[in-house]
Order: sequence, then structure tokens, then C-alpha cells
Amino acid sequence: MNNRQQTTPGCRANEKSTDQLSTSELWGRLFKASSLDQYLDHTGSQQEMPEFSVFITKLAETKKEKPEAIIKRGGIERSYGHRLFSGARNPSRDTVLQFAFGFEFDSDETQQLLKIARVAPLHPRVKRDAVIAYCLHRHMGFLNTQQLLYENGLPLLGGKWDGK
Amino acid sequence: MENDELLQSILKADDKFHYPPDFLEEYCIMECLSEQIGVITFLVQDRRGENCIAKCYDRKTWTFRDNKDLLANLNHEGLPKQKASFQNDDMLVTVREYINGVSLDHYAAENNLSEEDNIRICSELCDILAYLHHRPEPVIHRDIKPENIIIRPNGSVALIDFDIARVYRSGHENDTTFFGTKSYAPPEQYGFSQTDARADIYSLGILLRWLLTGKTKEDKESRIYRPLSGVIRKCTAFSPEERYSDVDQVKKALLRANPKAQIFRITVTVLCILFAATLLIYGGFCLYRAVTYSPFSGTVIPAVLSDEERIADAVDYMKNRYNTTMFEPADDFANIGDLRSAMINLYGLDHDYVYKVNEDMPCENDAFFLPWGWDETHVLNRDVMAYAAVKLHDPAIVADWTSLKDDNGFYPGVRVAVAFAEKNGIMTGVNKPTDITLGEMALILANAERVFEAAGKTDHK
Repeated sequence: MNNRQQTTPGCRANEKSTDQLSTSELWGRLFKASSLDQYLDHTGSQQEMPEFSVFITKLAETKKEKPEAIIKRGGIERSYGHRLFSGARNPSRDTVLQFAFGFEFDSDETQQLLKIARVAPLHPRVKRDAVIAYCLHRHMGFLNTQQLLYENGLPLLGGKWDGK
Repeated sequence: MENDELLQSILKADDKFHYPPDFLEEYCIMECLSEQIGVITFLVQDRRGENCIAKCYDRKTWTFRDNKDLLANLNHEGLPKQKASFQNDDMLVTVREYINGVSLDHYAAENNLSEEDNIRICSELCDILAYLHHRPEPVIHRDIKPENIIIRPNGSVALIDFDIARVYRSGHENDTTFFGTKSYAPPEQYGFSQTDARADIYSLGILLRWLLTGKTKEDKESRIYRPLSGVIRKCTAFSPEERYSDVDQVKKALLRANPKAQIFRITVTVLCILFAATLLIYGGFCLYRAVTYSPFSGTVIPAVLSDEERIADAVDYMKNRYNTTMFEPADDFANIGDLRSAMINLYGLDHDYVYKVNEDMPCENDAFFLPWGWDETHVLNRDVMAYAAVKLHDPAIVADWTSLKDDNGFYPGVRVAVAFAEKNGIMTGVNKPTDITLGEMALILANAERVFEAAGKTDHK
């Protein structure tokens, strides 16, 4: 049951509970914002998008959460996380995904966050992305997600593929 | 329960998409970078954790003819190296080097590129295209656009995405299928005729326009640096025959249009003009001087002569006129004896008059030529020489003063004589404030003669 408040601009509230959806509907829901044609529409929307650091700072304020807590939940290295909040560094795609876990986003909100960070969205044809989207959807948390990735021989967030 | 089904569905997704199994063994798919009909591009990681780019072509929609081994045969630092290829009945996958950097569309948005930056980027692109076009079987990229150009962290340029690149074969009249990105594609790429290297040149022109104006279409309101607008116009001519025929020509035109090169060319031109003008003026000056050079003729232009020349001319003048060599060498210092000799021997003044002195006090009057009783070896002062030269021709100017020094320590007669000499040009060319040379003595005497002759007073006492 996803009854969390929608705090990310542009995200729509769920109309049905998760239990009422079929597997294909759930799959579709995980990636409903992943149309690359829409996503890669650079011409207008990108200029209107906020800076990643500004966005996460304001979001943390809106949620009345300290950056420290978000960084910890996302399993992000502490000083690196603070540098990202201050805008001193640009995040990698994996780090943006870790922030999504830090903010306890669902897959839809995560797609928006990836867009703001100007990195590729979660895509249904990428198994690792699909697993991450599933974990976000289920609110499994960062460590459980890493566990599921590891069990299925997929590169961990922030890690490299070891070929197993 | 549904969620477990969902997870199982996710974990079996690769089976659904029918990737070649050996590709999945060697590489792990990390991100989907682009998705078009029949082709999907992934960022993948190999077993060493190194990033690569994999393009997966669906055999149902993609006839993979010409560029199967295209990248494998290419070796240029501006082009990605092919790593491997995999295939099964459904799909063909090519894996190439991942070029670290930013695509030009993002790079241009994030950096305020100058005309020089844009010229450098397009010039490097010309080098890459020259490598492709000049191969035994020329390779036409046919999809030159900002998204397919990567700027590496060190600023160098790389060209990616050979989806539609093809080998040019003469004899094929037209391309039957549209390839490329419409804003950047030349008219012939819509199927009017077969595309050759000039198709890439067209796209290069559009790219340059986009870099300079942010627009791919010609816009009269956008002001483009004129030399570059000429290059764009020629690159993007409708007819391929009217475009540059070779990408090397485009590069040369770009480098010529570089504002720095233009400034250098203008500077060199201006310097050449200035040099030529200087030569002309100097030549005219020399000619003018040769024509007007006639010392003391009355038509002489004083500014034309240097002081040394005046002195040399005066010495010659005195030598010719009085048949004397007493003013040589001209740079020896003159003394009172020289003055008295000149007055007696050249101008015929009475010996006693010249040597007569008042024993008691200086006398600036007609009874004594010189007011003071100096001996022969006393150095000759400029002011004394002026006094003598003026008194020689017109004693009334300097005579009959009280012979007493004024408040400034000058004798009145000498002061009047110097003022007269300076006013009338007799002192012109004599710079030393005190002691003078024989040459300067000749000059003062010659100048005085000229002045007094011009005034009609030529009789000496």
C-alpha cells in the first residue's frame, strides 16, 4: 500500500492499491515515465529543471528532514553526500539512485529525480534497473536492494560488476 | 504474491529480449542510453568493470549490410574502437569503446563557446571526417549532429554512432531509405540522389550554424561572424556540386575565418601598408631635399638640415667665399684669437680696432670692437661670437651702452646682440650654451652674412 505523500513535482498519486494490479500493470507502472522520447526532450524542459543540489536541498526542507538522515538511508559516503547537497560535485547515476532510496522515493519519483540529475532513467530492458525499480516500488530500502542485486549477480549500487 | 511474480518476471526479462547469450556472459547491461526503432543502445560493463557501449540491432527491422565490420577497420583517435560483436537469430550486438566526455549538445549548453572554440571543434571534426572520407572505400557518417559528437575532458573531439554510416559506392544512383537526423540531413539524403562525402559536409555546415546561433535553420535575425557565414552557406548549398568538394577545404576555410587569423591578416596588411607609406614618404623626402638643397640660397628649408649639416655647409661656405681653412677642423674649440683673426683677415677690420681694449672697464661702443681685454687663448663664448657677428654688420645695434652689467649679470650690448641673433636665425644650429667650435663660429658668421645681406646691410666697418 503506497499512501506516502507525493512531494516530487509532477508525480501523480496512485489510483489503485498495488495489490489490485496485475504483473503487467505493475511492470508498466514501474516504468511509466521511462519513455526515452519524452525523457530526452532536451529542447525546453531541461532549461526549466532545477539544479540537482538545489532540488534535493529544497526537498529535504519540505520533508523536514536533515541531509544527514537522507545520506545515511541512501548508503552514501557522508562527506561526498554533503558535497552533493552543497552543489560542489555532480552525482553519478548510481548516486542519484542512492538518493532516491535516501528520500524513500517510489519508482515514479525516482524517474523524476534521475531526470533532474540529467542521467538516464530506469529502463525496463535493463535488468538491474528493473530490480532497482521493483525495490523502490516495494520500499525495500537501500541495504535490502543491495542484497537482492547481489543475489542475482548484478552490480551493486556504487559498485562494479564482478562478472559473477 | 503478485509482487513475487513481478520480481520473477523482471529476473527473466533478458530471456524475453533474446540477447545473444555470449554477450550477456561477457557484459552486464547498466543503462539504456537510447532507443530507436530496431536499435537500442546500452551502457554496459565488462568483467573488469570497464564501461563500453553496446548497440543491439533487431534483425527483424534492421538490414545490417554495409557497416558490419565498419568500426573494426577504422583506427583513429577521434573514433571509438570496436571491442566485440555478438549475434543470434534475433539480434546483432556490437560493443565499442566508451568515450568518456560530454556530448556536444550538453557541452555547448554548459559552456559559453567562443567563435574560436566552435572553429576548433569543427576543425577537429574535419580531421576525423577526412580520415573517413579518404579511405580506399570512403565512409560517409551521415548523422553528424551534436548528440553524436563527444568532447573529452581534455577538450578533444570524438565522433560516435555509426548506425547509418555507409561505404560510398559509385554507381548507386540514390539512397532509397532516409537515414539520419532531419535537421542535419542534406536534401539528397531524402532519396534525391546517392549521398557522398558532401552529405557530411552539409551536416557539418548545419552543425556550425547551430553552434553559432543555437538554430539549425537559417535565421536572418541571427548575426554570424561574416567569414563563418560564408563557410556555412557553401557547406549547406542545396546542390552538392555547389558545396565544398572535400572536407579538407572546409577546414582550410574555417581556419582562414578564425577571428585571430583575420586579425593577424589585417595586422600584417596594415603593417605592409604603413611600411610602403613610410618608404614612399622617405623617398619623397629625399627627393625633395635633393631638389631644395642649396644652403644660404634664400630658398633653403631650415628644417631640412641637421645641425651637423649646417655646420659643414657653413665651413664650406666660408672656405669658398674667403678661401680660408681657418674653420677646420670644425669640431675644435674656437678662441678669442680665432675671432680676432677672422675679423682682420676675412672682413678687413683694422688690427688696432680689433685689439684695442679699455684697460679700466668693459666698453660696448664704437671705439673698441670687443669690450673686454681677453688674451688670444681665451675660449670663445657663444654670446661673444653673436655680439661680434652682429657688431660686424651693424654696430649701432650693440654699441653705446653703459658697459655695466645689468641686474642679471649680463652686459646690455651682449644681451641685445644675442636676442637679435636668436630672433633673426643667426644662432640657428648652435646648441652649446657657452663655448663654441670653429664650425659653430663659421655657422654664426655665415648666418649673420645671410641675414644682413637679405636686409641689404653688407658693408663692414
